[in-house]
Parts: sequence; C-alpha cells; structure tokens
Amino acid sequence: MADYAFPHRHLLGIEGLNRLDIETLLELGDRYVELNRSRVKHTNVLAGQTLVNLFFENSTRTQGSFEIAGRRLGADVVTMPIATSSVKKGETLIDTAMTLNAMRPDLLVIRHGSSGAVKLLSRKVDCAVINAGDGTHEHPTQALLDALTIRRRVGDIGGMSIAICGDILHSRVARSNVACLNVLGAEVRLIAPRTLTPPGAADWGAKIFTDMREGLKGCDVVMMLRLQQERMDGAYLPSAREFFHFWGLDEEKLSHAKPGAFIMHPGPMNRGVEIESGIADHKTRSLITEQVEMGVAIRMAVLETLAKNAPEIGAPKAGGKRR
Amino acid sequence: MTGRTAIYNARLLDPASGLDASGGILIENGVIAEIGAGVAKTTAADVKIDAKGKALAPGLIDLRVKTGEPGAENKETLETAGDAAAAGGVTTFIVMPDTDPVLDSVALVDFIKRRADSVAKVKVLPTGGLTIGLDGSKMSEIGLIKQAGAAFFTNGDKPVEDAGVLRRAMSYAASFDVLVASRPDTPALSKNTVMNAGAFAARLGLRGTPLEAEWIALARDLMLAETTGVRLLADCISTARSLSAIVRARNNGVKVSCSVAAYSLFFNELDVGDYLTYCKVQPPFRTEEDRLALIDGLKQGIIDAVVSAHDPQPTEDKRLPIADAAYGAVGLETLLPCLLSIAVREDIPLLSALKTVTCGPADLLGLPQGRLAKGAPADLVLFDPTAPWACDRDDLSSRSKNSPFDGRKLEGRVLRTWVNGATVFERG
Repeated sequence: MADYAFPHRHLLGIEGLNRLDIETLLELGDRYVELNRSRVKHTNVLAGQTLVNLFFENSTRTQGSFEIAGRRLGADVVTMPIATSSVKKGETLIDTAMTLNAMRPDLLVIRHGSSGAVKLLSRKVDCAVINAGDGTHEHPTQALLDALTIRRRVGDIGGMSIAICGDILHSRVARSNVACLNVLGAEVRLIAPRTLTPPGAADWGAKIFTDMREGLKGCDVVMMLRLQQERMDGAYLPSAREFFHFWGLDEEKLSHAKPGAFIMHPGPMNRGVEIESGIADHKTRSLITEQVEMGVAIRMAVLETLAKNAPEIGAPKAGGKRR
Repeated sequence: MTGRTAIYNARLLDPASGLDASGGILIENGVIAEIGAGVAKTTAADVKIDAKGKALAPGLIDLRVKTGEPGAENKETLETAGDAAAAGGVTTFIVMPDTDPVLDSVALVDFIKRRADSVAKVKVLPTGGLTIGLDGSKMSEIGLIKQAGAAFFTNGDKPVEDAGVLRRAMSYAASFDVLVASRPDTPALSKNTVMNAGAFAARLGLRGTPLEAEWIALARDLMLAETTGVRLLADCISTARSLSAIVRARNNGVKVSCSVAAYSLFFNELDVGDYLTYCKVQPPFRTEEDRLALIDGLKQGIIDAVVSAHDPQPTEDKRLPIADAAYGAVGLETLLPCLLSIAVREDIPLLSALKTVTCGPADLLGLPQGRLAKGAPADLVLFDPTAPWACDRDDLSSRSKNSPFDGRKLEGRVLRTWVNGATVFERG
C-alpha cells in the first residue's frame, strides 16, 4: 500500500474517499503515532513548504493540532488571526482567499461556519486545501482520527457496532464519521431525539434510534457528541436535565453496551449534559485523550499525503477571471 | 376494596367486545372477576345488587376537563369536579393544563396526581402543557413529564401559533411516542368572537368565529403530524369539513384521532338564541349541517372520543353581556345523558355512542379501564338509558353551574357509579 498514489488534491470531506484512501491515511497516521511518541518528534518531509491555518470559527484543539502537525513535519506554519483581520473589515471570503493565495502557501487548512465554504475556497486557490470543519457538513480529519483511535484498539473496524449519540442534526463530526465508518465496514447507529435526528438519516447507512438503551445494546464503541448550549433552550430540547436524563451517557445506560465498550468524544465536553464525569475519565474505557493524540498523527499523515500530491505551482491564478 | 360484590339482573353493555346482553358482573378486590349470565342472584357474594334490568357499562372516560385547581378554586376544585364526574358516570377524567400555574412541569403534574388521589372520588389524570406557560415558544420537559404520569400533551385552549415551535415539539414528542392533542383554532380569526359566524350571528349583531379558524389550523396540524410522525389528537373538532380532512389524513397514514365536545352533537348555533351566555363556548355551536355531519361521524366510528369539554365558570363571569362573558360550559354530569339523548333521537346504536366515552378514549391513552373485561378495574356505571328528566343547573354537583343544558329535557340518567369496585355515586 506504500506505493498507492492518493488520488485527491484536497481533503474536503470523507465523502468521495474510498477504503484504500482512508486506509492509506490511517497507516501513515500509525507511523506518525510512533514518531510522536519518540523523543525527537521531527521530520523534514515538508521542509520549505508553507502551511496556513485559516480558522473563521474559534478553535483551540483543532487549530493547535494542525499547527503542531505542520511544525513536526518541518513546514513553516502560519496561523492567520481571522478574528482581527481584514475579514472583520468587510473583505469577502473570496478576496481573502485570493490574497492568501498570492502569498503562495502549499497547504491551506480552513475552518468555516458555513457548510460548503471550504469547498468554495478550494476552487479559488492553487494549493491543497484541508477542511478543518465547515458548518454542519464535514470534519474529515476528526473522522479519520476517530477511526485511527478505534483501529488501534480493536484491530479491524469491520463488523464493529459503533453508536453515535446526541446532536446528530448539527454535527459535522457525525456526518464525517458515518461516512468513514461505513466505508470501513462498521455497523453505525445514530441515537438522538427526533428533533436532533436529520431528516433522511436512515439513508446514510446507519440505524436510527431514539431510545438510548435500545441503541446502545451490544455496541462496541459509544461516541458522544457535544451539545451546543443554544439547542437546549426549548427549541430543539426542553432542558439540559431532560437531555441528560434520556440521552446523557451514564453508568446505567452504558451498561447496555458491550462490557468494556469504549467511550469517545470529539470534545470539548459538557460534563453532566451529554456525559457523566466519571465515564469521561474512565481509565480503561475512555479514549477521549487518546483521540487528541491521534489527531496530531492523522493530521501529519494528511498534510504529508496532500503535499506530495501538489502539482508544481506556477504563477498565482489570475484573480479576475476566476471569481 | 376487598370482598365480593355481585351486580346481577343487568343489561351489560361493553363497546370493546360488542357485548349487549343480560347478565351480571362480579367484583373482587376492585377488579372485574366475572362477567355474564353466570353472575346471578344466587352467586356467592358479600354484597348483592339488583340492577333491575338497567344498563351496566364501563365507567366513562372524559378526555377534556378543566377545573380551577390550582389557581381558580372558586370555579371548581379537583374534589368538586370529582363529585360531578361521579354523578355523571365518569370514572376517569383528564385535566387540561390551563391552570394557574400551568401544568408544564414535573412538579405540577405530580401535584395534580397526588391531590386528586386524596380528594377526588374518581380517577384523575393530568395532561402536560406542550409549551412552557402555554405561551407557544418553548417546549416543556415532555419526556420527564410523561414519566411523571401525564396522559398526553396539549397546549389547551391556546394553540401553538408558531409552526416551527409546533413542528419541533411534535417531532420531539414523537421520540417518546406520546399523544399530542391540539384544538384546531386560528386566534387571528377567532379572537373576541362569541358564536359561529353566519347569518344568525349577523342578525344578533354578534362577532362570529368562521369555520376557517378550525380548518386552517387543522390542515396545518395534520401536515405536521404527517411529517413528524407524532400521534395527534384533533381536539374538539366542530365542523363537517374537519371530519373529512381527518378521514383523508388517516387514509394517507397520518396517526390522527379526533374528539368532539358532547355539546357539538346536541346544539346548533340557533341555540345561542336570546344571547345565552351559557352557550358561549369554544369551539362554538355550529350549523345544523355540521352537527348532523358529526352525528354521522359518530355512527361511522370516525370520532374516537366524545368529551365533556367541562369548563366551569362562576356566575360573575357569565352574567354579563354575551360579548364580555367568559367562554365555557360545565359538562361532566351531562356527558352521558347528552350522548344517550342523541342516541335515542338520532338513532345511533347505543354501543357506538358509548364507545366514544369508554374504550375509544381508553385505547388512545393505553388505559386498562373503559371495558368490561376480566381483570379490568371495576369502574362501572349503572344507568337508565331512556329515563326522561329535565336538567336544572341548581341540581348540578359542580361548583359552577354554567350548563347550556339548563332547562333542557334529556333522556337517560345515571343511577350508580363505581370506581375500583367502590360506590362513588348513588341516586337517592
């Protein structure tokens, strides 16, 4: 598989990736886990290349994870302070992209609050674009790091029962994970109240449950999602305490999953809302901090793979006609 | 209640099984132990009651009752409503959430249950308010309130006007498979109205509620029930066209049931007559065509439940110019006589009429009562199906006397009522 030529220029989503694409990234990710656990966590595979982080939405862990990943690969990493930038001064998204493109980065990591915005930008720039989360659409590196985390624990994801619980409707993590786990042959279950279950989710290749105990029955991995505060004010849910009562992960509900089932969460967690503290901190079953570790490794794998794929860049695209 | 009670020499009427035959019922430990011709005067029992050939049926279940407790105890308490229910042969009633405070929390639903258990002679189940304060903006804790014992969820007489809120509330409610009741009404059309809109209202110089007020809201509710998959109870429909909309929706797979206020089967708009404030109700008495269509719906089994729509109002709120008077009519004690009178006058099979106040509503809520079956609670009513009487509001047990049946002649009278095998009412 080492000589498999990854066929994509960007990583905009899990959708469109096949099993070989995903496994190639996971295997490279595995190797970077080893590097990251060694004393000298550094290679030069991206020496001389420039990675730009463009986060239109606040993020601590994903942004930091990409920064560390880029630095460990030897790239020059620049994180654009969007909150105080020209975007605030009224520059359009496309103009920002064109400006950045003229600085000739090699890799552009973008997070944006609107679904589809990253794809739009990818059409306007010459470098490789990595989606670090767009609206409620996709968050591919999260799905890949989750897959890497599970795979390292259970070997083969194929045939595993994996439950994703909580606010599926507004979750880009859920969308990417369903796609990724499906390609890898897992049985995916989505557990949520009807108000947070996306219409047509039954066609995503997942089983839909509203009852958590039923949904967790016999599953190998439980992935909890973050519940945004603004969903709990009576619009989608009556209250945080009702949500926790019926869909929060506690000992009792977890007992319906397979004995020893693993617990995951993309973070940041609301302890006491979607997950009980004791479970989040479980020594052997909680993989939550391991997910963060895998995040750096898989992002290194993604950056390296896409950088290798980049065509020789000539003059920057002529802005006018591409707009 | 321990010991054995035998009621014999009765005409047994059980809509659930279609039974209409002479026989008796043996009650043991508050439940029905035996039914049929086998229960006779000679049956071994501690108490023997000769029914003298009168009708013995499951006690009535009334899906729509308002009391004034908590908040307006001058209108009615759970205790006085319980007395009125017992006198009317109603052994289970469901209270609406429009109290003060509104029944929109676990604590209040629990309060009603405990309070009713200690003071009411009959079984009382609370509903849960669908939205907080019934203000139509935020859904209540539907899951927790259901667990606390709410029979179903409704916004009472205040429709949820925001379709987005209603859609999400219905969708959320569907997660728990709860029944959501909605009285179809469009406040923009019905606000400050007094009676049915039409020629008669125009002649009286009164503001009328157009039929569209019901149609528009019902059409919306049916669409949202269809897309959310919730079980919908179209509460107190009053027009012919509403019935056909419900039949159409059912044929399309929508999980919709419907109820009708007993008064809608008995009165038409002309009964408002000389500005009778006791006849000011929501939905209003409609046209004779609508009334006959509802009777037909009852015969055809389209109507799942007939309700009393019991809404006590004190004299001071009714003895006013009709435009200023409060809406509402008491109905617990007249529910069965009203149904029996219609059955006689409109030639409705007795079992079809009784179904809408026994197993019909029981099945909507999944209740064990409402049927004559071995092991079912001995909630029973003994009545004379044809006895003529004239309703006098001063004889009503309700704390409020605002009955549109006041002065009306009715056929059919309750003789005795049992809850869990214990007598809670006996006509002297």
